Amino acid sequence: MAKKNDKAVNEFNQQMKPVSLWADAWKRLRKNKMALISLWVVGFYALIAIAAPILPFYDYRTQSMNHINLPPSLKPAGRLAIDQLEEQVKLLRSRVADGVDSLKPNLERAEADLAAMKANVGNDPTDKKVYILGTDYLGRDMLAKTIYGARISMMVGLIGTLTAVLVGVIIGAFSGYVGGWLDNLLMRFVDIMYGLPYMLIVIILMAMFRKEGQSSIFILFIGIALVSWLTIARVVRGQIISLKNSEFVEAARSMGASTGRIIFRHLLPNALGVIIIFTSLSLPSFIMNESFLSFLGMGVSAPLSSWGSLVSEGANTMELYPWQLLAPAIEMTIFLFCMNFVGDGLRDALDPQSKNRT
Amino acid sequence: MSKYIIRRLLSLIPTMFVIVTLSFFLVRFAPGGPFSSEKKVPEQVLQNLMKKYHMDEPLGTQYVRYLGDVLRGDFGPSFRYRDSTVNELIAQSFPNSIFLGSVSLCIALLLGILVGILSALKQNHWQDYAAMSIAVVGISVPLFVIGPVFQLVFGLKLHWLPISGWITSRDGLKTLIMPALTLAFPYFAYIARLSRASIVEVLRSDYVRTARAKGLAERVVIGKHVLKGGLLPVVSYLGPAFSGIITGSLVVESVFAIPGIGRVFVQSAINRDYTLIMGEVIIYSLILVTMNFVVDIVYGFLDPRISYK
Repeated sequence: MAKKNDKAVNEFNQQMKPVSLWADAWKRLRKNKMALISLWVVGFYALIAIAAPILPFYDYRTQSMNHINLPPSLKPAGRLAIDQLEEQVKLLRSRVADGVDSLKPNLERAEADLAAMKANVGNDPTDKKVYILGTDYLGRDMLAKTIYGARISMMVGLIGTLTAVLVGVIIGAFSGYVGGWLDNLLMRFVDIMYGLPYMLIVIILMAMFRKEGQSSIFILFIGIALVSWLTIARVVRGQIISLKNSEFVEAARSMGASTGRIIFRHLLPNALGVIIIFTSLSLPSFIMNESFLSFLGMGVSAPLSSWGSLVSEGANTMELYPWQLLAPAIEMTIFLFCMNFVGDGLRDALDPQSKNRT
Repeated sequence: MSKYIIRRLLSLIPTMFVIVTLSFFLVRFAPGGPFSSEKKVPEQVLQNLMKKYHMDEPLGTQYVRYLGDVLRGDFGPSFRYRDSTVNELIAQSFPNSIFLGSVSLCIALLLGILVGILSALKQNHWQDYAAMSIAVVGISVPLFVIGPVFQLVFGLKLHWLPISGWITSRDGLKTLIMPALTLAFPYFAYIARLSRASIVEVLRSDYVRTARAKGLAERVVIGKHVLKGGLLPVVSYLGPAFSGIITGSLVVESVFAIPGIGRVFVQSAINRDYTLIMGEVIIYSLILVTMNFVVDIVYGFLDPRISYK
């Protein structure tokens, strides 16, 4: 990804100032435009998600029966609903004029509705609302719904990743440093877990332990985190093994440092690069997994919603109201897209093999 | 080599044993039984049901009985579909999933490798950028978004393809196109990226320079020297790809209403159909474990740098 630039780079340049790993990585990340833009987008999403309760969005639970299934528009809702109804009346009139008598009661009802709506349009303050992403089948604002869905999805992604990293780093570090039978035991265990069809296990866990009508986010966290620390444990173990016989560890040990101190103060900081890369790359995959479960109806349950459950709801009504599918789908896609670019960018920036090379 | 194969084969046994044990106890310790929903069943009937399915015995006895049954390839009766056994249910749905999965994997492999080679050879040209942009989309967009969006565009708006159904229906093979493409998309993307990266690497290697230096035609250099080394990572990705396609088919089958094992699995998990869940998990794991084994062996044959001692 890094661009060609021969000015700053000269491997024989003796006068180059010593650069820390982080300064070096940041320098390279800054050159990666896609990663930077993506970082801004991700930051924007995070900001909106965190600040959603104090921002002037509509409430995602408020239903308004006059405004069901409105398409995305910048017009106020009352106007839009009237337009829609007029459209319907026109269609019905032409059908009745064609001699379809069975539709007559429908036409009368629609005309009455329209008259009532027109009379009321000034009185109801909700008619002034603007739904830029449309509304759902209960007249709830799609924008607010997708933002609150994003909050859940991002929270699951974040907590899942943190748990996985914490467990994986600790197990991987001890396994690699202590070695011997402990290492053998832990790695055999990891091997066996790798053989398991892991999403299926999570699905079983979700299906078994969630209770109807009760929020099951907690089980979702456990289910996803339980099986996701394997990769990071392996990676960290490899790093630790390659470092544990180096001189600085020898020095620390000869000065009487304890095992825990050597691992946490001397070895892990050296593995921080891979840990960060893993974290940024697994966040989108957690969000995908959570949404995957929610899509199958086994993730978060109503009234909470996540990107996955919103897409699943939208897929049911996409024939008539495609925006209900497209709004969460596009929003989620952009986020995952950017997360992937950030992860790739971080990997390129932090990878020691690409140090001082562009 | 044969020693390695045998050792590797033997190591599959503990893995399968753990899987069977884990799924047995996981399912048994879960709250709520298979008979505890919808309408209330009288106590006597419940006891008879428990007796019929041997669920009144101590857990140890049940476990040993189950292990024996599994070894004979008998997964027992389904708890929910009273008239059929787990073996029957799996036999009905499994071939459909295998068919869909293999078609998708073939599409992903063929297209992925092709695109990977082309963009590696056209590195940093617009063809490369275009292909890699599509690949990033494929990696970051989840299946359950691709599926419905495909349905919306090609089924509902353009009317090119039927939005759901299976090849046994009136529309025949046309119903296969959308689900197979949906399922193949992420793996196509991944394989394209993987093969591009490794071919770019190989193109810079010494042995390719030597091949060019001794005056081989570019066609021979690419076909004989570059591809052989460049496609090795794709072979080792086959294992994860296979497991991904298995999980992916859960979504694709439910989006496109395909009568495959993925849909049965989701249903059985919701129904708490103990024996069915366990049977499916065992089948799935068996495939995964076997695929990983085969990939390892094939890799050993292809890569001259690996020797099994």
